[in-house]
Amino acid sequence: MQCIVRFPPQWIDITRFERALLSSCGPHNAGTYQVIFEFPVGCKIMVDAATRLLSLINQLASTTRTVLLDFQEGDAGTMGYLNRMGFFDHLAGDVEIVQGWPVYSAAEYHRGANSALVEIARINKDARDEDLPTRLTNALMRSCGDREDASALEGAAWTIFAELIDNIFSHSRTALDGYAALQVYSGGNRLSVAVSDSGIGIMDTLRPSLRSEFPRLHNLSDTDLLVEIFRQGVSRHGTDRGCGLKGCAGKAIKFNANLDVRLPQQRVLLTPAQGSYRPNTAHCYEGLPLMWGTHIAFTFGLGS
Amino acid sequence: MNERVRVLQLRNVMDKGEGWGRDQGREVYQRMLRFVEDSPGVLIFKVSMKGVNRLDISFSSETIVELARRFRTRKGFCLVDLSDQDLIENLGAAAEKKEQPMLVWHDRSANLIGAVPSEGTREAFSFAMGRPECRASEFAQSRGISINNASMKFKQLWEQGFLLRREAVAESGGVEFVYQRIG
Repeated sequence: MQCIVRFPPQWIDITRFERALLSSCGPHNAGTYQVIFEFPVGCKIMVDAATRLLSLINQLASTTRTVLLDFQEGDAGTMGYLNRMGFFDHLAGDVEIVQGWPVYSAAEYHRGANSALVEIARINKDARDEDLPTRLTNALMRSCGDREDASALEGAAWTIFAELIDNIFSHSRTALDGYAALQVYSGGNRLSVAVSDSGIGIMDTLRPSLRSEFPRLHNLSDTDLLVEIFRQGVSRHGTDRGCGLKGCAGKAIKFNANLDVRLPQQRVLLTPAQGSYRPNTAHCYEGLPLMWGTHIAFTFGLGS
Repeated sequence: MNERVRVLQLRNVMDKGEGWGRDQGREVYQRMLRFVEDSPGVLIFKVSMKGVNRLDISFSSETIVELARRFRTRKGFCLVDLSDQDLIENLGAAAEKKEQPMLVWHDRSANLIGAVPSEGTREAFSFAMGRPECRASEFAQSRGISINNASMKFKQLWEQGFLLRREAVAESGGVEFVYQRIG
């Protein structure tokens, strides 16, 4: 069966990305042998959606499905933007592109020339890039270095990248690469930080250990458990671990950031209330089309 | 007399100025452990943060906090040359998760990060922090409480890693503990 994912001709944030996925017949469905992603004129993929899209496409390609990308605006549209982000540098080589693959990597060509440009970074546990959190944070500082709270923002961003990326190295157990990216939008008022992996998913690594390590959490729903992961820190290795994600949440909350976590078939949206993420302000979307791994995005409202 | 306090320059056992992740932390932990084992008789290690730009929470947890926890009741670890708010926060988050208290010293004053003393022992902790050494009997006398009660509080603070202690001969001729702040 052919599966078509059609994006609308507008900005594509995570919510619109998910909506488009939900309207399709499910790219990972057993009967799907070909997946087509359509990007009409005026469609602009935002950074957090782009990292998820890249992960999804590479997952599909790794399962021998044919993947076809149709960028109807050509290089002038979202294809050009994705090229600048290095999207095609990380895309599986057997993916087909209706307009043809870009003849050169714009990310490589422009590297270092445009201070506001932020590239998607590859996370590969066999080739650990020890400078990755620092490089990503430096990129952020080129856009936000003049802010009064630049130092706090820099520290928060570095810790978030360090913990999320290290988590992928430690837990995701996958041969597929993970990705990290950030982008500052709306004249510096909004910052998106996205980290995405195609591993076995945070719940699947955690659930088996709950009965012995955290009996109190054993019966929680996935949403409530996810809130606890970010609120009190929960790790399959016991009560004195799990401080990484909790720490990320602590940093993000200082900037009133929303947190979006995509699990294989669920998405949980956490908004801060009274200084923490709480179950009663968490929104959960269940039964979503399958996407392997854990995909985490923070959206910071930076104010002016 | 043996040297009782030694400075451990964290940067000297790190590969670079940034400490990132559990794996890197475990490597650095081994080097810190070797430093401690090569310093027999030293009771207190002042871990200097000079030259350290960043530490994430996982790295902090696997290194300084783990070392302090391992040697709890036997040796003490505190932090010096540390003013970066972000570093303090990350070290504090790691220490809190492992229920390990850590003192951050600025000249002659100290801030406590990580675990905090219980309501019942808070006053005894402040008393101990106000002097290099003290005995439970001194605290009992100053607060008008029984020596037994005071001893219980200090013992708890020692077990939880807030203080160190050594045996000494009491005026009565018996053995009593002398409690010492860390740093």
